[in-house]
Amino acid sequence: MDDKLAKALEASKLLDTINQQKKLLQQQYDADLIHYENGRQFTSSKELISFCQSLISLEQDQIVLIDDNGLPSMVNDLSTFTNNLVNTYATASNKFFNEYNKIKKQRSVEGIFND
Amino acid sequence: MTKGILVFAYNNADIDYVKQAAFLAGRAKEYLNLPVSIVTDKESIGDRYKEGWFDKIIISDIATASSKKKYYNGAEQSTVLEFKNDKRPFAYDLSPYDETLMLDSDYVIADDVLKHCFTSVYDFLIYKDATDIAGNRETNEFKVISETSIDFYWATCVFFRKTQLNEIFFNLIKHVQEFYTHYRKVYNIVTTTYRNDFAFSIAIHMINGFKKGDFAKRMPGKLFFTADRDILHSIDGDKFTFLLQCAGSLDKYSPCKFQGNSVHVMNKYTLEDNLSA
Repeated sequence: MDDKLAKALEASKLLDTINQQKKLLQQQYDADLIHYENGRQFTSSKELISFCQSLISLEQDQIVLIDDNGLPSMVNDLSTFTNNLVNTYATASNKFFNEYNKIKKQRSVEGIFND
Repeated sequence: MTKGILVFAYNNADIDYVKQAAFLAGRAKEYLNLPVSIVTDKESIGDRYKEGWFDKIIISDIATASSKKKYYNGAEQSTVLEFKNDKRPFAYDLSPYDETLMLDSDYVIADDVLKHCFTSVYDFLIYKDATDIAGNRETNEFKVISETSIDFYWATCVFFRKTQLNEIFFNLIKHVQEFYTHYRKVYNIVTTTYRNDFAFSIAIHMINGFKKGDFAKRMPGKLFFTADRDILHSIDGDKFTFLLQCAGSLDKYSPCKFQGNSVHVMNKYTLEDNLSA
């Protein structure tokens, strides 16, 4: 086989593996964004965090939020809830960032698995 | 309130489900600090009941018919074996716990997400969606139980409390199982083999008044799975290495590293090869 073609195929194999790992990291990130509080789950998002912050700035300390099951839930301590939500968001995003950077730097399939 | 994990394990000629359940029990203790009880038969467990792997060993000889299933070991090899999966509808009656997390023996625990089941305000939790780690396969068969039918639910991980409504629900699953030939036709299921996923999905549809409803709530986290056409190469703590079947190929695999989440590993052969990990 032509040397250039062999190198191109090798590079495509690496990119394919990297892309698959990136997709998987995105899926794991989605799972990591789920926040559990008071027996319910809420997906932590920029929108939900901003909404809670707006309510706090309006001096609200409790609010009814819809959980991931689509059912209403009373949040009694909005400030603590928002802090926890931010923590979940930040932890998940930092993990995603670090894992993504590890993969991005790899120059061989073996490198991904030996890391 | 007592709480724990329940696993069903009935061996066939090739697959040692009890060994898988023992592996699960070890990891359940490590990641979730929960006891595991096994439902099995004398033949499957043999003299291994002395090992102390399980909180309780429940010998169940409830007479129901077993079926045949094609077990793949990677994309190239397959064997038709006996499939004794029909005891699951009796989980409510058999579980020694007030709060039960029922898991497939091929579910490899690698995180503590499922601990949130026990603090949930909801009494029945199950996964409706799952993520194929390969990400390149058609997964419509896991979205609806047939093309013209209802939502698919995974019986792989189910959490339930012993409540009156859950008792009614499990009795309904037993009814669906008993008249499975009828319900299979009503819900347009093509395959004839009894599947717990289908029986649970049908029962959920029925208890919701034959429409979509909110009886079943979401399990914590996400359900990740690899198909039996994939190969589990190694497990090291919470780090898995898989060889995933390349799309449209029978002999090509793509390597994949997966870390930090539990996985439903459908290739029972390569799972067994890794059980000492």
